[in-house]
Amino acid sequence: MKRTSTLLNLSLFLLLLFATSVKAQQTVSGTVKDEKGETLIGVSVVVKGTAIGTVTNVDGMYSIKMPASSGKLIFSYVGYSTQEKVVAAGTTSFDVVLSEKATKLDEAVVSGLATSVKRSNAANAISQISSRDLTGTTIQSTVDGAMYGKVAGANLSSNGGSPGGGMSVKLRGINSISGNGQPLYVVDGVYYDNSAIAAGLNAVSKAANQGSAANQDNPSSRIADLNPEDIEKIEVLKGASAAAIYGSRAGSGVIIITTKKGRNSGGKPQVSLSQSIGMQTQLRKLGQRNWTADTAFKFLGQNGLDVYNANGGVTHDYEKELYGNKGMMYTTNVGVSGGSENSAYYAGFSRIDEEGIVKHTGYEKSSLRLNLDQRIFKFMDLSISSNYVSSSADRGFFGNDNTSTTMGVSFVSTPSFANILPDALGNYPDNPFAPSNFLQTRDLITNNEKVNRFTSGISLTTRLITQEKQSLQLILKDGIDYYNLETKAVFPTTLQFEANGKGTSGLVALGSNNNKNNNLSAFLVHAYYAPNNLIFRTQAGVTQEKFDANNVLSTATHLIGSQTNIDQAGSIQGEQTRIKQIDKGFFAQEEVNFHDLIVASLGIRADKSSRNGDPDKLYSYPKASLAINVSEFDFWKKNPEAIFNTLKARVAYGEAGNFAVFGSTYSPLVPVVSNGSTGSLIGLQRGNSTIGPERQQELEGGIDLGLLKNKLLFDFTLYKKTNRDFFYPVQIATSTGYSTFMTNAGDLENTGVEIGLDYTPFQKKDFSWNTHFAWWKNKSEITKLNIPAFNFGGFGKTLGTYRLEEGKSATQIVGIGPAGQADPSTGLVVWGDAEPDFQLSWTNTLTYKAFEFSFLLHWKKGGDNINLTTLLADLSGNSPDFDDKDLDPSGNLSNGNYRLSQLGTSASVFIEDASYLRVREIGLAYNMPRKWFRNVCGIKVQLSARNLINIFKYNSYDPEVSNFGVNSISSNVEVTPYPSAKSYFLNVGITF
Amino acid sequence: MKKYKTTKIFTGIIFLTMMGLSSCEINPIEDPNNPSEAVISANATLSEIQNVVDGSESALREQLNQYYDGVSVIGREWYRFSGSDPRFTSDLLGKGAAVLDANTFYTTQPFAARYRAVKNLNILIDALTNSTAVTDADKRRAGIAYAKTLQAYQLLMVLNEQYGNGVRVDVKNPDALGLFLDKNASLDAIANMLNEAHNDLKNNTAAFPFNEYVYGTTPSQFDKFNRAIAARVNVYRADWNNALSALNESFYNISSPLTEGAYHQYSITGGDLLNPVYFPPNSTGETRVAQPSFITDAESGDTRLNKVSLRTTAASLDGLTSDYDVAVYKTDVDPVPIIRNEELILIYAECNAQNGTTTEAVNAINTIRTAAGLSNYSGGTSTQELIDEILKQRRYSLYGEGHRWVDMRRYGKLGDLPIDRPGDDVWVEFPRPDTEN
Repeated sequence: MKRTSTLLNLSLFLLLLFATSVKAQQTVSGTVKDEKGETLIGVSVVVKGTAIGTVTNVDGMYSIKMPASSGKLIFSYVGYSTQEKVVAAGTTSFDVVLSEKATKLDEAVVSGLATSVKRSNAANAISQISSRDLTGTTIQSTVDGAMYGKVAGANLSSNGGSPGGGMSVKLRGINSISGNGQPLYVVDGVYYDNSAIAAGLNAVSKAANQGSAANQDNPSSRIADLNPEDIEKIEVLKGASAAAIYGSRAGSGVIIITTKKGRNSGGKPQVSLSQSIGMQTQLRKLGQRNWTADTAFKFLGQNGLDVYNANGGVTHDYEKELYGNKGMMYTTNVGVSGGSENSAYYAGFSRIDEEGIVKHTGYEKSSLRLNLDQRIFKFMDLSISSNYVSSSADRGFFGNDNTSTTMGVSFVSTPSFANILPDALGNYPDNPFAPSNFLQTRDLITNNEKVNRFTSGISLTTRLITQEKQSLQLILKDGIDYYNLETKAVFPTTLQFEANGKGTSGLVALGSNNNKNNNLSAFLVHAYYAPNNLIFRTQAGVTQEKFDANNVLSTATHLIGSQTNIDQAGSIQGEQTRIKQIDKGFFAQEEVNFHDLIVASLGIRADKSSRNGDPDKLYSYPKASLAINVSEFDFWKKNPEAIFNTLKARVAYGEAGNFAVFGSTYSPLVPVVSNGSTGSLIGLQRGNSTIGPERQQELEGGIDLGLLKNKLLFDFTLYKKTNRDFFYPVQIATSTGYSTFMTNAGDLENTGVEIGLDYTPFQKKDFSWNTHFAWWKNKSEITKLNIPAFNFGGFGKTLGTYRLEEGKSATQIVGIGPAGQADPSTGLVVWGDAEPDFQLSWTNTLTYKAFEFSFLLHWKKGGDNINLTTLLADLSGNSPDFDDKDLDPSGNLSNGNYRLSQLGTSASVFIEDASYLRVREIGLAYNMPRKWFRNVCGIKVQLSARNLINIFKYNSYDPEVSNFGVNSISSNVEVTPYPSAKSYFLNVGITF
Repeated sequence: MKKYKTTKIFTGIIFLTMMGLSSCEINPIEDPNNPSEAVISANATLSEIQNVVDGSESALREQLNQYYDGVSVIGREWYRFSGSDPRFTSDLLGKGAAVLDANTFYTTQPFAARYRAVKNLNILIDALTNSTAVTDADKRRAGIAYAKTLQAYQLLMVLNEQYGNGVRVDVKNPDALGLFLDKNASLDAIANMLNEAHNDLKNNTAAFPFNEYVYGTTPSQFDKFNRAIAARVNVYRADWNNALSALNESFYNISSPLTEGAYHQYSITGGDLLNPVYFPPNSTGETRVAQPSFITDAESGDTRLNKVSLRTTAASLDGLTSDYDVAVYKTDVDPVPIIRNEELILIYAECNAQNGTTTEAVNAINTIRTAAGLSNYSGGTSTQELIDEILKQRRYSLYGEGHRWVDMRRYGKLGDLPIDRPGDDVWVEFPRPDTEN
């Protein structure tokens, strides 16, 4: 009996599910146009509360079967505001005009691995950057650079100004101590590798030999390969509450990039061409110290005076000589897109050729993209995106060293009265004040990165069931990201520091790096339209990611003559690092939408990975969210006195993971040489065979408000993110034979606020103005530390270092200080914090008739840097402000002498406020009337600039620096970087 | 319509295949960059065993500079001057209120390096025990005995610095480390390890399942090294008879060259180490200079003063001055002795002096004195007088080899070591590293 009833229930359920209701049906058809009266192709038309939908055809026509004689139709189109229309009984023809006044509320934002949701229903503050925001104001050569100042909650910092980029992106504070702190990038569903791979310069600079083991080669980040012009939109999942769907790789957030696609254009191709010419110059010139015979003798002794007199006191502007190159920048973009009813394509080609502000440095990139969408059957869509990039970056030789050989260090060590210019025959004199002649170094060395990268993704969507009350889709995705990075560093024997047996008598370092990412996924998405406007959306699926990296670095020294083949060397050393990883995951999520009033979701992602001690153990990451659109309730909608057109309260919780550094599970035996043979010796780190991912837990809540017919939108978000049991290689009893063990060392908490304001004060035919403010602030705290407090990063307490300490900020900068001020037990004073007090970005777009003016202002308030460039200049008496007197509180010492007097006494003077206010982007465009060109094409001329105006007190080239690249902590340290640049562009764009 | 259905079914199958693909197990990925401890321990090939042997012998040399600086500075044999680290002249000499720190490199690094070698030798023992490539039980026994001998030597080095704190002998399982034994129990345990190994080495006619470079080539030859170390351990235990019988089975020979023995080797081969106790003469900034009493206390004509060399200018730092560089090693690839005949002859002298067999003791002393260009011993022959003479000969014969401090300590004579600056201290032992608590 029992069995029968179960069966009965089941069949009843199935009947409910599949039964087609027998009601009065009505076919409605019409045309959709924009405000100018032009028909719109591909507008989505959906019967509200059902799965029934269609799109407009080439003539802007649609025809839809309504299940009832009357109902509501929803018309939506990208870039236009969504409209909901009541169709009365008996209506058969229904035309609609869509307005281009789309607000942020109409954006679709990601909500699951296979789904998105209208922003007005979203429970997370997901930042979105549109193509217009990304590259509309000015020319961008890299994606990371283009995101600057556009994401609330993100802290972007470039590692220096070397052509080809290199940037650290931290979402909502510090995400890890020893693991990866950079977000995961997903481009069209493909996991996009963003490694920063060193080129082997350390063999010359020896930067990582004394005290600091961290890589200081300042390589570029591989996200730079992506062409910003190809991007349709970027969505930023800033914390675990939104990123939980990406599981154990999402602990530092996820950046989802969608590239452009073709649209149904009735077969007619749309072509856009643009060419820009630009120039870049040093962002801020510091000048040089004014030397006299007297100061030369006082500071540099008899040798200094001798050189001064030998050159007759003639000085040279070496800053101009080294950093004064007017780097020309050329960018060509071609985009062709189009489509018909069943297929659409987008083809993008771009070529970038940039010269840096230092001669012989530059960046070249060619990118080719082809995105195809094809309807195979009525129920099956295929989508393919593919991208090939070839780039080459000559990055110069800057940053920290322990050999005084980088151009940066040697520049600050050289007084302007020394003559290091080459003679008429091209021979460079030895630099009498430093081991290297930086002009010779600039002209003779090579530090090149060449990338060949192919990324391709394929996605197959099958609509298995399409009925009035339900739909079921199957989505299959496969993505491959492969690149080869060749690094080449050449230091010929003619260099001052390689000649006559110095250095390593010449060096060639060749790196070959092959990286391959592959990700597969399969999802089922079911939508069920229950009565009373209750919509259930269920998704479940599986994922698999594989990662394989093989990096080989060959370093040849003691070169023969001017040869650069590694065979032509007295000694060759090889290094190889391989990383292999395989992850498998499961994902399920249920979203419930009641009348757009209440939108809730509940989901779980479970992952296993070979990176964990137990590769077969599942780690699960739950998420839950709730959004309540108060303004959608009848009592609100019908209240004429309601000030707010939109009032939404939202809350979301989620967890995500982050792997410990590769190798943490292994107890390797490292190679040693003894008695003429190679031996195996146990490494210092004990493998942790039970290690799992670090876990980020985030609770986010907020309110979205819309006023003045949603012309004024305001969003307010609070979050609290906890990195529970973050990993650190802790010191263990050395009688085990090991020294460290990667294990849970404590808890780290980030709390923050993000506020956004969107306002369109004017939107008239001839004049419109849109303005957007974003303000954000983050604070971190080490809430638990299982090991004693320790210093971390930087160059030790004399110069300033980070310190992890329970109850303190994770980014506090400490250093030695005077006895009265210093903590008696540690001798340390907290001199600063790398975390900014807040950041503010302000975007404006104004259009007047055919003119378009836009700018982006970015203000970072607070946040300190450890400035060692100035100290290094002081040590050679070369800092531009050496003779000024505004630092010493007693007024006795000049700035240079004061800073030197503090070395070993207090680190205070090296830690500086790195606040800045800058006009990141500014552009003025003029759209020439189409009739000038017989309506064949449109031409747009644009003048623009990046970093045009920079206001900061920080005593160096640019407060944005990171000698240590993309490390989780320990950025914000400056050691003679490649200075940042400002750039100007003239751009002509043609569309037809 | 039928076509559509087929396609739908087909996609369903693809989906199920992918599900299947994803739901299956993930196999562990072996370390792609290095051999792993687990794999080597479980079933090593003969060449992997050889790698672990070479790695262990290399490990014996790690951080020896820190060890020799530690014991030689406290033993007032030399000063270690460093422009970048003041602690060699403050902490190690007990300047003013300075004391030895439990968490500083001079304490932690030599300690960790010795245990790292012990760990590597434990991996060797596991590899030998489990490897299917080693088929002969005698070979296996010999190999394990080799490893235990070296482990005992490493633990003795730790005990030399830790002394009263004792050492941890059982460190096989990192999750369940044995307790620290007291000083005497530590010495007993080390002696036991040596004896066990000795039993497996003596009369073992099988060959080692690898090549070793410490001493000899066969197990029975290597046993002579084992016994030499055992003689040293027994002297430290004041067990004179056992020391003498160990000597008997060691490479001790009163008429052999004094330099005969076991050494750490160095070379300029890429990846190999250079002699870490060598500094070029007349260095500035980083240097080792002789404690002046080494020169002033010497008998005239003692050729062993060639272990120091006169500097062109005196070296001074932190209130300390010396005219002499330490010149025990003449080049950066000179081998560093582990134990050699000169020490064994002096052990022979010491045991006989302690046992009252005066003639044998004096005979051995004279062998040493003659070699140093000195006349025969003419002092008293009471045990005390002979021991004083032997300690003096040890001071000059084994200068810079890490003995002075240990010798003075075992005879309770640390108070006799010279104090250079008022308020300086002579430490009895290094503190136990913080990470061990």
